Amino acid sequence: MKRGLLLVGHGSHLNPNSSAPVYQHAEEIRRRGVFDDVRTAFWKEEPALGRAFDGWDADDITVVPVFIATGYFTEQVVPRELGLSGPLSRVGGRTVRYTGAIGAHPRLADVIELRAREADAGPDAALAILGHGTPRNPNSERNIYLQAERVAARGAFREVTTVFLDQEPNMRDVLRYTRAETVVIVPLFVADGWHVDETIPEELDLEGPETVRNGRRIRYAAAVGTHPSLADVILQAAEEALAWG
Amino acid sequence: MGMSVLEAIAARRPFRLGEVEAEPDGAEGWVVRGPDGGEPRQVEAEGSAIRAAVRFDALGRYRPLSGARGMPGGWFVRCRSREELEQVLETVYPLALVHIRQHSEGTLRVVGLDAVLRRQTGRYEVAAELSEEGRRLAVASVCGACVRVPVWAGRLPKEPESIPCPEPCSVFVSFCREAAIWEREGAVPGRDDPSVPFADFEAEGNALRNAYLRARAAAPAGEQR
Ligand code: SF4
Repeated sequence: MKRGLLLVGHGSHLNPNSSAPVYQHAEEIRRRGVFDDVRTAFWKEEPALGRAFDGWDADDITVVPVFIATGYFTEQVVPRELGLSGPLSRVGGRTVRYTGAIGAHPRLADVIELRAREADAGPDAALAILGHGTPRNPNSERNIYLQAERVAARGAFREVTTVFLDQEPNMRDVLRYTRAETVVIVPLFVADGWHVDETIPEELDLEGPETVRNGRRIRYAAAVGTHPSLADVILQAAEEALAWG
Repeated sequence: MGMSVLEAIAARRPFRLGEVEAEPDGAEGWVVRGPDGGEPRQVEAEGSAIRAAVRFDALGRYRPLSGARGMPGGWFVRCRSREELEQVLETVYPLALVHIRQHSEGTLRVVGLDAVLRRQTGRYEVAAELSEEGRRLAVASVCGACVRVPVWAGRLPKEPESIPCPEPCSVFVSFCREAAIWEREGAVPGRDDPSVPFADFEAEGNALRNAYLRARAAAPAGEQR
């Protein structure tokens, strides 16, 4: 039996960085040789989701959506375009396993913690996990809160809070929601793209990796999705799906 | 029609695919070259290096559509094996070899525009409102700017380097969305602005938007809605 892994991402018609982490993790997983075939597909780039299974010779394909939110894309668009009927489907004579958004996986908390430590977060720091959020879709915040709870439960930082780009509690008030002298903001986004590199630092008036304001330090970490160890989380999600039978 | 791309690969003969050329190199290797232009520069046979070479046009604008004509030139890649050649071509034109093979075998699954637009939800739902004439002109403008041949629109790949396109792509669908809105609002062509991204169809300076709206304005009145 040949086993394949398909990483699906959103991709973009306007932003070339959006798909970069998906390619990056696919290349790393390919290099490890755990699957016979590792491919990518995108909503807005190529190969398109609707053609994602064209030309495979694997008979068992695990699909991992590299999305933070469990919501419209991972529950409607991806299953519809790939022709899935649930976590375990038969598509064109193949078994297809669908893990759901990587943003819900418990081990993502490891990556958030790594990103925070890279930005020098120590035990006295406050960690602010920053999600996109949108008032239009209440589901989009769920995984951000879930991961924040997991990171908080480990007790590695004095405070762990959650802020959003596009809904309340808003990132602009991050100093009000925290007390520690050092606040480390970790963007729980897939890509270092338009938001992480431009809109967020601009809106928060950040001066680089560290900004001093009102006698407090704000440190800004890189996106969680570009961390090399996300490949481990993807592989773990895929291995769990292989155990479904 | 000359030797197909797949036959040329098997026979180790030079061939063209879209805008790239490939020729055998040594006993087992290949060289893949982009279009002419600039100092020749070698690019590693790695996905990220190849994407960096082909995903931006000469003005540095992002090219989200792999088949968009006007690929930047001057780059070449040395491949050590047929497998590496196929990987490079897959990065440059995703699924092209698969679709060429399936088309020649008669197994290519073709999905038409109606089916694709009908399954859109959210912000793309409105695309299904585009008139027949609008759809025809969208094929002429958007697919006309692409090296793939839209077999989903009834076109036939005629040249050996042609890549059959079995289903409207996401760029085409987002163009249909905007075109449906232009129809509704009676949009008029603007002036092309080279700083506007290829697929930013909402911007008035977008070249594809304006080519389409000019073609629409020139179409006989009876064909417009
Ligand atoms: S739908 Fe048209 S523009 Fe899109 S890939 Fe196919 S031929 Fe090219």
